[in-house]
Amino acid sequence: MLIQTINLGKTYKNGIAALTDINLSIDYGEFVFLTGASGAGKSTLIRLLFREELPTAGQVLIGGRNVSRLSTPEIVRLRRNSGVVFQDFRLMERNTVFENVAFALRAVERPYAEIKMRVPAMLERVGLAGRENDNVMHLSGGEQQRVAVARAIINNPLVLFADEPTGDLDPKTSDELIQLFADINAEGTTLVMATHDQIIVDKMQKRVITLDHGHLIGDTIGGWQL
Amino acid sequence: MKMYSFRYIFPQAFKSMKNNGWLTAAAILTITISLFLCAFFWMIIININVNATEIEDDVRVMAYIDFDVPESDYEEIELTLRNIDGVQSVEFVSKDDGLLTLEDRFNDTDLLSTLEGDNPLPDMFSITAEDSQAVAAIAEEVSALDGIYHVRYGEGTVEKLFTMTDTVRKASIVVMALLGVAAVTLIAMAIRLTILGRKKEIMVMKWCGATDAFVRWPFFLEGMMLGIFGSILALALALILYGQVFSYLTATISFATIVPLSQLWPGLTLFLIGAGVVLGAIGSLIPLARFLKV
Repeated sequence: MLIQTINLGKTYKNGIAALTDINLSIDYGEFVFLTGASGAGKSTLIRLLFREELPTAGQVLIGGRNVSRLSTPEIVRLRRNSGVVFQDFRLMERNTVFENVAFALRAVERPYAEIKMRVPAMLERVGLAGRENDNVMHLSGGEQQRVAVARAIINNPLVLFADEPTGDLDPKTSDELIQLFADINAEGTTLVMATHDQIIVDKMQKRVITLDHGHLIGDTIGGWQL
Repeated sequence: MKMYSFRYIFPQAFKSMKNNGWLTAAAILTITISLFLCAFFWMIIININVNATEIEDDVRVMAYIDFDVPESDYEEIELTLRNIDGVQSVEFVSKDDGLLTLEDRFNDTDLLSTLEGDNPLPDMFSITAEDSQAVAAIAEEVSALDGIYHVRYGEGTVEKLFTMTDTVRKASIVVMALLGVAAVTLIAMAIRLTILGRKKEIMVMKWCGATDAFVRWPFFLEGMMLGIFGSILALALALILYGQVFSYLTATISFATIVPLSQLWPGLTLFLIGAGVVLGAIGSLIPLARFLKV
């Protein structure tokens, strides 16, 4: 089992319980949608899964290890095996497409010769061949999200977390991005995507975990549950 | 950390300084002012030390020999003086030599005729101590000897001089420490703002699996470079100012030794650049510890 949560809970300092008693398991190679209305707890769950935040109750196990108890080198290793994509892309606006994608390889201290070789190949894979030198702010929303995806998967993570990645995109661009995710998943990367886009969920017919007010209320394969 | 990572980290530090131009300039200027003031006090301390050491080395115990002691006993007294603990050397000064010294001091080449041919000065021994702080104890022991009717070593004045130089040294060190704290605070503020400005970049680094060291090095280098640039400017200002002051003081002051620039600059350079690097490093580590917990 790649990901497992046991009685997982998160209550913020202001007293708001974002998640309560979440128990779920995600296996290697799965494509999982986390669905629910705004405020259901999808983003909190994503943040707990990639250890951006720590739970206030229960455990998150990745590869059988409790992420709350990892040493600093183990956290680094965990993150090198995870990729993450956000609704707002979180690109470095002043930099080029190449620099944004290369950033992930630089962060894990790959030599420049390797970076120069791998970035164009990755850009070709996400449909941005030849756009290396463009400033990311000159790209469309869909293209910017592709840059973010390229950055997230260039280190070949075991799992890709995506938090509302289509939230700012038009339907056609969303479809293209979801197809890219499906391709990435088909190559073996586990995909966990938080979304409130019913059309996408219904179309993909993948595993759907549904949250409501911080509680897990459904876990089935198929379309939208609410 | 892999060595080739520094090929990326170094330019990042410069880039950050360039992107935060005004903040960088303000931080460098403040460091320059702080370190220039430190240099100012450092130069004062160096000059005080040199002059104090010269004065300390020059402090002697003058032992005046009784007029009724025959010259044949002088050798025995000198031997007794040499055997006193802490005495480095004993020099006999005849009353004729004493008169010559007086003539020299008063710029009067014929003082003896003014005194109607009668030299009233006694013969004496000039005693140098191994340690200037032991002068008082030696003087006390010498004054108890037979054949010595008076001992003089500038009592009171010497103690005051030691107290004064010591106070100036301590005060200068306190002021330099306070200026150092001010510089560290400003560097910390500059680095903190840089960190806040690059929060997103840092988050992405963390998500990608960057190590703590990789995330921290650019900021650490930036802090040290702010310190180095500030210290170089402070050094230039201090050397220019000291050169001017040195020319003026050597032309106008004869009673004190002014350390020449050629002797002063190597120490001052080491002191300022070293202080710049250390202050920059400390200034960047403070916000790094708070903000960059990976």
